[in-house]
Amino acid sequence: MEWGYYLAAAIAMISVGCSAIGEGLVCCHAIDGMSRNPEMAGKLRTNMILGCALVETTAIYALLVAILCLFVH
Amino acid sequence: MPFLGFLDTSKGLSGEVISSLIVMGIIMILSFIVAIQAHYHDPLKKPKGLLFLTEVGINFFDRLVSEMMGPKFKGFGGYIMAVAVYLFIAFIFGLTGLPSPVTNLAVPLSLALCTFILIHATSVKYTKFKYFKRYIEPIPVFLPVNLISMWAPLLSMSLRLFGNAISGWALMSIVYSALQNLSGMLFSWAQIGAWNQIFIAPFITPFLHAYFDLFSGLIQTTIFIFLTMINIGLEAPEEDTVNS
Repeated sequence: MEWGYYLAAAIAMISVGCSAIGEGLVCCHAIDGMSRNPEMAGKLRTNMILGCALVETTAIYALLVAILCLFVH
Repeated sequence: MPFLGFLDTSKGLSGEVISSLIVMGIIMILSFIVAIQAHYHDPLKKPKGLLFLTEVGINFFDRLVSEMMGPKFKGFGGYIMAVAVYLFIAFIFGLTGLPSPVTNLAVPLSLALCTFILIHATSVKYTKFKYFKRYIEPIPVFLPVNLISMWAPLLSMSLRLFGNAISGWALMSIVYSALQNLSGMLFSWAQIGAWNQIFIAPFITPFLHAYFDLFSGLIQTTIFIFLTMINIGLEAPEEDTVNS
């Protein structure tokens, strides 16, 4: 049953792709806002990095699950 | 198992807890130096060196706290600055080769627990007995849901820090072992035994260390203190409701 753990880790990694799409959307809209309103660029960049890191959390949870699947059994 | 090691007390303290103590010692020595410098410093002259850096840092964190949390939380600058300095030094402590304190779940969990307790203490301070009303909002049926969702900040903040640190650690270990094998294959003609494994890694891993330790550490420190400030600041009532 060793392969089952590897399969579980691979399935957990699907969520990382979805999280990448979300991060792309955050960046896309932040750059939209920056190009429309360049004097707000500094504030928007800070918020963009904050939002990206928050979105990344989902990916990190999935990574944790995958690491646990691979190493803890 | 490096990241569940704190549960195992049979072998004494785990390495991450010891490096956490070392980080605390470094910060304590630095603050003693700053205190002595500040005590013997002439206030009419320009500060320089470590004292100047500390003053810039204190000004920055005081301004950040008053911008993000409002003027009611003036005393929070010290706590936020302490957490930020500790977290950043703990993240870049992995560069020394010793285990980084954040790769043990005990350390991020205790930091998140501080924030969690502060959130509820602030809520009790500003709402008094109406504090218990937050568990039956909007209707009393939501009591079990609220009792579970109450732990969400604790879980998400600790796991965010821990997950970032442990993913960097795991990726770096994979890269190091792969480069060791590659170097062993390429330099097997040199006839120097296991020493032929050391040639490639020093030229490739510094950039990865700069990303996974420095950049990721800075970003995660920022995220942690921002979330702390936002979560605590949300518990206080709005400015106009205080005056009315």
